[in-house]
Amino acid sequence: MSMSNKRKRKDFVLQAITYAASLIGVFILSLIIIFIFKNGVGLINWDLVTNDYHAQYYNGGINEIEIFSKTVKPSELSESDFYSNKWGLALTDDINREGRAIVVVSYLANDSPLHDMYDKNDLENNTFALEIGNIVSSIKFENKESALSVYGAEKMINALENETEFREIVFSSLGGGIRGSLITTLYTIFFTLIFALPTGVCSALYLTEFAKNNQFTRIIRGMIDMLTGVPSIIFGLMGLAVFVPLTIRYTPASGANILSGSLTLAVILLPIIIRSTEESLKIVPDEYRFASLALGANKTQTTFRVVLPSALPGILTATLLAIGRVIGESAALIFAIGTAVKDEISIFGKSTTLAVHIWSLMTDEPANIELASTISIIILIIVLVLNLLVKLLSKAYLRNA
Amino acid sequence: MSSKNEWLTSLKQPLNLKKKKGLIDFVIQLIFLILTIISASFIVIIIVFIGKEGIKPFITDNGGIGNVDLIRFLTGNEWLKGTAFKSNLYSVGFAIINTLYISLLALLIAMPIGVLTALFIAKIASKKLSAIMRTIIELLAAVPSIVYGLFGSGLILVFVYNLAKIFGVQSQGGNSVLATILVLAMMILPTITALSEVAIRSVGKEIENGSLALGATKTQTNFKIVLTSAKSGIFSAAILGIGRALGEATAVSLVAGNAQSGPSLDFFKTTSTLTSIMLQGLKETVGLDYDIRFSVGLVLMAVILFSNLILNYAKKMVGNVDVK
Amino acid sequence: MKKLVLLLMVLLSVTLVSCGNTATWDSSSKITLYTRDTSSGTRAGFMSGIDYAEAAEDDSKLSAGFVTKDNTGILTSIKTDEYGIGYISLASLDDEVKGLKFNDVEPNVANVINDTYKLKRPFNYVTRALDDFENDREKEITLAFIAFLHTTDGADIITNEGAISLPSSQSWDDIKSDYDICSLDNSDITIKFGGSDSIEKIALALTAAFSPKCGNFIPEHDHTGSSDGFKRTQGTEKDSANYKHIGFASRPFKETEKGTDDTQGQLAWDAIVAIVHLDNQLDNVTAEDLKKIYRGDYGIWTDLLG
Repeated sequence: MSMSNKRKRKDFVLQAITYAASLIGVFILSLIIIFIFKNGVGLINWDLVTNDYHAQYYNGGINEIEIFSKTVKPSELSESDFYSNKWGLALTDDINREGRAIVVVSYLANDSPLHDMYDKNDLENNTFALEIGNIVSSIKFENKESALSVYGAEKMINALENETEFREIVFSSLGGGIRGSLITTLYTIFFTLIFALPTGVCSALYLTEFAKNNQFTRIIRGMIDMLTGVPSIIFGLMGLAVFVPLTIRYTPASGANILSGSLTLAVILLPIIIRSTEESLKIVPDEYRFASLALGANKTQTTFRVVLPSALPGILTATLLAIGRVIGESAALIFAIGTAVKDEISIFGKSTTLAVHIWSLMTDEPANIELASTISIIILIIVLVLNLLVKLLSKAYLRNA
Repeated sequence: MSSKNEWLTSLKQPLNLKKKKGLIDFVIQLIFLILTIISASFIVIIIVFIGKEGIKPFITDNGGIGNVDLIRFLTGNEWLKGTAFKSNLYSVGFAIINTLYISLLALLIAMPIGVLTALFIAKIASKKLSAIMRTIIELLAAVPSIVYGLFGSGLILVFVYNLAKIFGVQSQGGNSVLATILVLAMMILPTITALSEVAIRSVGKEIENGSLALGATKTQTNFKIVLTSAKSGIFSAAILGIGRALGEATAVSLVAGNAQSGPSLDFFKTTSTLTSIMLQGLKETVGLDYDIRFSVGLVLMAVILFSNLILNYAKKMVGNVDVK
Repeated sequence: MKKLVLLLMVLLSVTLVSCGNTATWDSSSKITLYTRDTSSGTRAGFMSGIDYAEAAEDDSKLSAGFVTKDNTGILTSIKTDEYGIGYISLASLDDEVKGLKFNDVEPNVANVINDTYKLKRPFNYVTRALDDFENDREKEITLAFIAFLHTTDGADIITNEGAISLPSSQSWDDIKSDYDICSLDNSDITIKFGGSDSIEKIALALTAAFSPKCGNFIPEHDHTGSSDGFKRTQGTEKDSANYKHIGFASRPFKETEKGTDDTQGQLAWDAIVAIVHLDNQLDNVTAEDLKKIYRGDYGIWTDLLG
């Protein structure tokens, strides 16, 4: 009896240790999530995901003005909205997604002369208007220093209020969105899996189901194992030396592109997929194989109809790990896909994934830790969604099977 | 007559089928073999490519600077003596030791946690809890390494800095061996957990049932029988884990402090690994100072290969119950 | 499950508390040096600014035990490390660290423009050799862009981006009649920009503003480091797939990177600031002080503060 009690206590302790170990993982993830949320939650909104990265710039000029605005500062504007009576324009200070100070148009009176500017870059000089939400980067005058957004909205309004004309007003849309990088990431996941999954799973099938236990197999296995040890930065250099020229030669690409990045990532993923698939193929009891063979199925049928389906949950886990790696990889992709942030995405063109986007933000001077954290949150959300999706799919599959 | 013919064909059919079957098997096996060889051949491409670049500093005079001395390179304790772009006195001996030291300790921390978590997920936790835990591990695996670096430099460095203070040591802003180990341990934890879990789940039910039938408790079986039977898979997890630890660059370079000489064994001293040396100034540098990074990469790959060989040997020594 | 959550909360709060404790500043502590690596333009600018140029590319000239980090790494480390000293680009300076006066001059844009603040480095550009463009339109747009850099409009953008522009007197409106190419539709022309990372933000802002002024040509940015600025316009990679029309360098061009005069020039200054922890008693340093700190003559803060 005492023996059994001792056993029970020991069991309890051992079990508690596994709880504690698991808790550490939970703890680390919580810390990371708290950390990135603390830094990045301020910027998270739907616009960030749908907006372009590159702002569109406009240069407005103005003809001689006969009638200025007569609108007085509307009561709904606050103290932080600086208002010019003459121009019927209110400007306010804000911070953009890059963490830089910007000046935003918060109000424009109906009788403001700024409704009738002409587009200096348009050959016909068509008229256009300033709009609420536009970002004013500078107002330039003849024979006077320009009013710049870096000095704030108040100074800009004061400079404008003192003048009856200006040479040029430079304004833009709000850039810094991550739509392009998001699309590139999804493309990259898709193409990487297309290259890596079949190759990896077939290699694993060969190694577990077909290969004889001889010197040749051991060498092959050793070579694949070695691949796991290659640091991603070296994969990146390899991608730059092998896949980038290859895609330039056989596709319309002219530099590093999504395809070369995906191929490089596929090589990185191969050993991971092969390893996990092999491990899950080992779970499949030999009786299944024997039973299938005894029923007259050949080796191929056995492999595809019996072994592979039983190993599917393991392969799904491998796929998820792989997707996680694709989303998170930056060192290799800096070389293999490039760091140019784009809005129009083509699989043969330059663009960059979210992780490399984060990397770019972090290596900026000054680094944009807020937006980097926001993108990290988005990455975690994507992974979570994919994760749940794959789990639902596999559940549905198991129910049908 | 016809019935006899029928009888004959029915006799032949299985034979024909068998031949056809054999052909399909052969073709499929061939395709699989080709794909396997392709998978395996990338390591050759990488070695040839990195080797070609990495050997250059030792056999050419590097634009008048003079060739790098291989022995000095592999054994010295200071990254570069003299002025960058003008000196050829490079060495990474200290960084090799740092890299192995840090990765080994990171593995020592991550291994028990990872394996126990895997055991928890596979055998102990309820179905719901294990699904949640698995998702958490997969999320951890997907955190980009640059974010681990960001997190490391934002939180781990502060933690280590204050920890050092408690011990009465003035650390250099927390940039240290310890910070690097902690960040690496976090980064390899999900890899080790995920692969160990697969290995643990692959242990045959009959082994487990045998143990239970002999009167062992569930917990006893889990720790003594299941873990022992899964050790081949767990070793594979360790191999992948240490590979990642040895090769991780971005996060390490943000918390290591990038000491230019060493080795650093003191937990609160700054350090540098082969990868952090490769990465440092990589984008702004030219000439020999650029080429030599490939040599460092070559050394790194040799180190990884070496440690893989040792771990594979160890794996064989502990025996593998269930490897086909 | 409840117990788990509780335990998690306790662990979290212990960590957070351990990060928050502060102690008084002790001047007998060792000085921790933070520096950029030997390939950094900021380091070159800083070391020559404190009259210690021999340490720009030679780590053995620095006091042992220094920490090598990038711009952001130095900034975040100094926020934690009460006894550290480092240097960053003025544009990165925030109020969580103390930016030191240099030879009694406050580090700010005004003092850099009036040339009283001396700790600075140049931002340079390089174009392809003028006879090495694939077609005349690319060449004309490149030349127009370089001209734009030197206008008041270009200077405004550089100032808005936190760098210090060079004095200029003409606006783009004054000179645009010299650049006929900009009155055409150039939306089929791609101009490739590369070189220094540090200048990427400025270059992006410049091209975003200039493209609509010059027929909407497509600017393509791929910034991979200062050395690629020359390498990919006039150097070894000028005819590779990575070629550029215009490259940037956040440091003076090396002797091996000299092109003809009409292809290279300066577009801005970047001020460098020595920074310490907010609790540090130091407010002002001289070039001599910094040299002694980085050379290792001063080992603890008392050496400097007395």
